[in-house]
Amino acid sequence: MDPLLVTSLDAIKLLVSGDEALWNIIGVSCRVSLTALSIAAIPAVLLGFLLAMVRFPGRWVVITIFHALMAVPTVVVGLSLYLMLSRSGPFGDLHLLFTQPAMVIGQVLLCFPVLVCMSHSAFQSLDKRAWETARTLGASHGRSFIALVREARFALLATLVVGFGRIISEVGCSMMVGGNIMSYTRNIPTAIALETSKGEFAQGVALGIVLLLLALVLNFFLASFRGRGQLVSS
Amino acid sequence: MRIQVQGILKKYGERMLFSIPSLEIGSGQSLHLQGENGAGKTTLMKILAGLERPSSGSIILNGIDSRSWWKRPHHKLIYLHQTPFVFSGSVSDNVRFGLGYQFSSRRDLDKRVEAALELSGLTHLATQEARTLSGGEKQRLAMARAAILEPSMLMLDEPTANLDAESIKIVTEMVTSLSAQECCIMLSSHQKTSLTQLCQRQLQLKAGQLLEVFENPEYSKYA
Repeated sequence: MDPLLVTSLDAIKLLVSGDEALWNIIGVSCRVSLTALSIAAIPAVLLGFLLAMVRFPGRWVVITIFHALMAVPTVVVGLSLYLMLSRSGPFGDLHLLFTQPAMVIGQVLLCFPVLVCMSHSAFQSLDKRAWETARTLGASHGRSFIALVREARFALLATLVVGFGRIISEVGCSMMVGGNIMSYTRNIPTAIALETSKGEFAQGVALGIVLLLLALVLNFFLASFRGRGQLVSS
Repeated sequence: MRIQVQGILKKYGERMLFSIPSLEIGSGQSLHLQGENGAGKTTLMKILAGLERPSSGSIILNGIDSRSWWKRPHHKLIYLHQTPFVFSGSVSDNVRFGLGYQFSSRRDLDKRVEAALELSGLTHLATQEARTLSGGEKQRLAMARAAILEPSMLMLDEPTANLDAESIKIVTEMVTSLSAQECCIMLSSHQKTSLTQLCQRQLQLKAGQLLEVFENPEYSKYA
């Protein structure tokens, strides 16, 4: 039989059999990435909103910096964080290196610029009349913001999906600050890298399938949500 | 309600749009604001509604300086866009939008929404997605959304542009009804319509200055 087919069948068997080690890795990945996304989402969307709505000197510099930060390699973020969290670093006393909180911090740093830039674009593409209408009808700043979030909900949801995609699949930062410790900081991408280097392709492929399924489910969810919001003129 | 304009100036970069030394608008007055395209009619109305800031000067509403308005919603001064924006959701949700912060009972709110829908002739469209309405229906929806808040001043930017006769009639009736309730009306329009004929005062923005126009041109004066 074709080796690729054999490996894929072994991978599916591993997934279906409920292999504890495998599902533990999936659990760590989801827990860390969802925690990071929950922490980053609200401040990032608020910042994106402010950058779209408020004019202040140096605004374009801030926007450009966030755009540049989107392209920073994950391993560079990991290295910077490693230096800060290592014993000799400024935050060494917190003993966070090679822990899940360190991975969460790293992933927050990775997804924050993506969330800021995409939510900024989402708010900027909204009709200016939306804000003016909400305000003239007596809505407070907070309520007007919520009205705008509602208007931009499809774009904002896509922002969250892209942000999640950025962190669930990153290897560099998780490997450097997590340390790839079995049953603690080993997540899907670091496990794939490790198993592949060991020649254990079945587990690597199984985890790859999980990542693919996750991406598919998220995008189907987004597409079905968007489908209900037909494109009509405002 | 009394609005006093005190030396407002609006500039975009080096270009001066208008300068208005003084203007007073009293309760229940209706004003027709004329001016060529780009004269600043929309900007002036947005400044009065607190949606834009003048480059200098201030607006005093019932003794309160406009520069402190940002601290609180000023739902009694409502500006309606030439092409109204409707929020996603039903027509009824849109009419209800401004009532969100008012602590009335649900039943009372429903009654007010029903009355506003009836007045605007939109009762049969109450549950329809607001964005699917025609231009005229959106204008009526915007009127209903404003009227339900019982505004002290309503500013309408070209309210009858591109409307059919039926919609013009309904919008005119709604404006007349608000005017009868001591609501001050300010509308901008290029043409003379049934709405502009209701106005007691004619103002014209010309070459950056606001001119009060009287039937006898000799009496016309700069504000």
